[in-house]
Amino acid sequence: MGVEQILFYVFGAILVFAAGMVITVRNPVFAALFLVLAFFTSAALWILLEAEFLAITLVLVYVGAVMVLFLFVVMMLDINLAPLQEGFTRYLPVGIVVAGIIVAEIYFAVNAEHFGLQAVAEPVRHAADYSNTRELGRVIYTAYAYPFEIASAILLVAIVAAIALTLRAKRQSKYIQPEKQVIVRRKDRVRIVKMPPEREEPGTS
Amino acid sequence: MLENYLPILLFIVIGVAFGLVPIAAGKILGPHRPDAEKLSPYECGFEAFEDSRMKFDVRFYLVAILFIIFDLEIAFLFPWAVALDEIGMFGFVAMVIFLAILVVGFIYEWKKGALEWE
Amino acid sequence: MANSQVPNFFLALPEMWLLLAGCLVLVIDAFGRGKDRNTAYLLSQLTLAVAAVITVAMATDIRIFAFNDSYVSDMMGTVLKTFIYLVTAVVFIYSRDYLRERGLYQGEFFVLALFAVLGMMIMVSAHSFLTIYLGLELLSLSLYAMVALKRDDSDATEAAMKYFVLGALASGMLLYGMSIIYGVTGTLDVGQVAQRLASASEANNLVLAFAVVFVIVGLAFKLGAVPFHMWIPDVYHGAPTPVTLFVGTAPKIAAFAMIMRLLVEGLGDLHAHWRDILIVLSVLSMGIGNIVAIAQTNLKRMLAYSTISHVGFLLLGILSGTENGYASSMFYTLVYAVMGAGGFGMILMLSRSGFEADKIEDFKGLNDRSPWYAFMMLILMFSMAGVPPTLGFYAKLSVIQSLVDVGLVWLAVLAVVFSIIGAFYYLRMVKLMYFDKPVETAPLRANLDLRAVISVNALSVLALGLYPSALMNLCIVALTQP
Repeated sequence: MGVEQILFYVFGAILVFAAGMVITVRNPVFAALFLVLAFFTSAALWILLEAEFLAITLVLVYVGAVMVLFLFVVMMLDINLAPLQEGFTRYLPVGIVVAGIIVAEIYFAVNAEHFGLQAVAEPVRHAADYSNTRELGRVIYTAYAYPFEIASAILLVAIVAAIALTLRAKRQSKYIQPEKQVIVRRKDRVRIVKMPPEREEPGTS
Repeated sequence: MLENYLPILLFIVIGVAFGLVPIAAGKILGPHRPDAEKLSPYECGFEAFEDSRMKFDVRFYLVAILFIIFDLEIAFLFPWAVALDEIGMFGFVAMVIFLAILVVGFIYEWKKGALEWE
Repeated sequence: MANSQVPNFFLALPEMWLLLAGCLVLVIDAFGRGKDRNTAYLLSQLTLAVAAVITVAMATDIRIFAFNDSYVSDMMGTVLKTFIYLVTAVVFIYSRDYLRERGLYQGEFFVLALFAVLGMMIMVSAHSFLTIYLGLELLSLSLYAMVALKRDDSDATEAAMKYFVLGALASGMLLYGMSIIYGVTGTLDVGQVAQRLASASEANNLVLAFAVVFVIVGLAFKLGAVPFHMWIPDVYHGAPTPVTLFVGTAPKIAAFAMIMRLLVEGLGDLHAHWRDILIVLSVLSMGIGNIVAIAQTNLKRMLAYSTISHVGFLLLGILSGTENGYASSMFYTLVYAVMGAGGFGMILMLSRSGFEADKIEDFKGLNDRSPWYAFMMLILMFSMAGVPPTLGFYAKLSVIQSLVDVGLVWLAVLAVVFSIIGAFYYLRMVKLMYFDKPVETAPLRANLDLRAVISVNALSVLALGLYPSALMNLCIVALTQP
């Protein structure tokens, strides 16, 4: 077993462990942090596959940005966690059976017999000066220009949806703009009204 | 090619060790006599007044999600910049259209006031 | 790679127009003043009209590919896209008053709907797994947001949440199946996948069957076929009625296109694998859809279960695996979209501020209130039930015929039995309208354009039912194109 294989199994084991923890730990902040670990080890696996650009993107976008969002959501929700865990043990047996069947299916279908070296040609090992970022750039913007532009439309819809669903026009804070405060003059706020004096008849009250 | 990543691997291993060793050392060497009172949460010496997790304003979330969208856009710029000399005018125009569509989104969010923080 | 070669991208002119117009509507609406959103509405209708003109004008007799074969322009695409524009335009007309009365008359509604239409167009014309998936995501993302648009309503938010989580799961399944097919064939192009599958070795049969299962699970989730239907009643019920109307009609046309491109064109060689799965899905959908619909008291939920049963019928034509079967399925899909638009349109017509009209009893005694619209609803219900001479009858008939042609007589008999069970709850609506005393007595107040379009909608179901061969020939021509 070569060093690469050992590394693969180490990272694979950490990935499976972290993914398992994501769905079993009680504290959602811990779950989010385990998700970071899972993303990070997947990035390491991608580096082992020589897909450096995708690995770095995974770290940048998922670990850097998506996780921030997750933590925001977790903090924003202020949810009581007990009800969320309620059905867990009840559904656990069914879940384990279904997951077990799927794992077995994957084992029989996606294995070395069908995707091993005797079925698929061995991928070329590239030299250290080979840049797969450049290789990606060569095709994304030419051969895959159409899907690339669709991706921008999807991002645009994401912007519109996020704003339409969360932005409140109503001001929520009681913050006062100082420049407006300073230019206020007395006549803007105070109105002096002359009123005839009213005298109460003695004895009526 | 993967040999080039050996320093990074070593860095990760040492980094993990650096984080774990002091914690483990503290655990092993330090006295450890917990009781119920010591382990209970407190706030400035008193019982906790409220849950430490408090509600965030939804605006933080909006800023974060808008950040992610433009972060993804930047991720698309990297391979484009690296391969720009090979993909020619067509690749350049493809990126211009991509950016133009996102600028539309940017105009929209600016106009809607999603970037304002009172 | 085609570095220097500029692709034949003018073929995608309808898509480009819709993208451009969608961006324009978004910006114009953001800069618009006041509460009035008529500009966004009118511009959206104009966008759809121009897109229809471009699409029809660019129709060709032969299939042409663009963008490295990831885009195809053919007759099926032209017909389906034209119907998508038509149905969406009708949805906009039906929705206007409802949205205005509930403070949902925003530019975002129209912009998101336009982008959903763009996603459907991309799906309809996709000829690569990548574009199919991206089109689907564009469509789904817009729909999730539209369902949640009424953001202070807990039912709508819950519906959006369920839709989003299950939709994301379905996308994951679909992607996993696609990735395995890519692993076996080494290509994402639908045409090349079909070629390489034809010459694939026997050893890969197990892997391909496995991949097909995942692809079909993904498709069934999106279509709402039993047992992946759980989200349909909740989403249809929870979403604002105009969104239900939109979700329930035009995307079904795109889903049909997706099945045609993925299963029939791409994985046609694996017909033996997917046929049996589709049989199970369609029998369950027809059964559970029709039986559970009987127990509903909410009309939106009832129509949701009726959608599930229609999906079962739609799958019958596809699983027959013949040209006639595909044509009858396409016919069924288009007919369903038109009938569905009319059915949900009636709910919108009867609703008013503070009154949803989505209970079945809200239709009691409609004949006393308005004989004409009771008659329109009668046509729509007869058509959904499959009573001759309406369009729905011919849709069911052609699908069942295609089953008999390939010798699946038992399945045809089962389909007939289920449609007779289904007829019960449609006819119950008719009974409520004609023989019960009205609970609601307020006069109908819908606008003239809504009334006119809904009448045309219902009458076209009847008129086309008298001459079903026109639409049927269109479907056959669209699918038998070289």
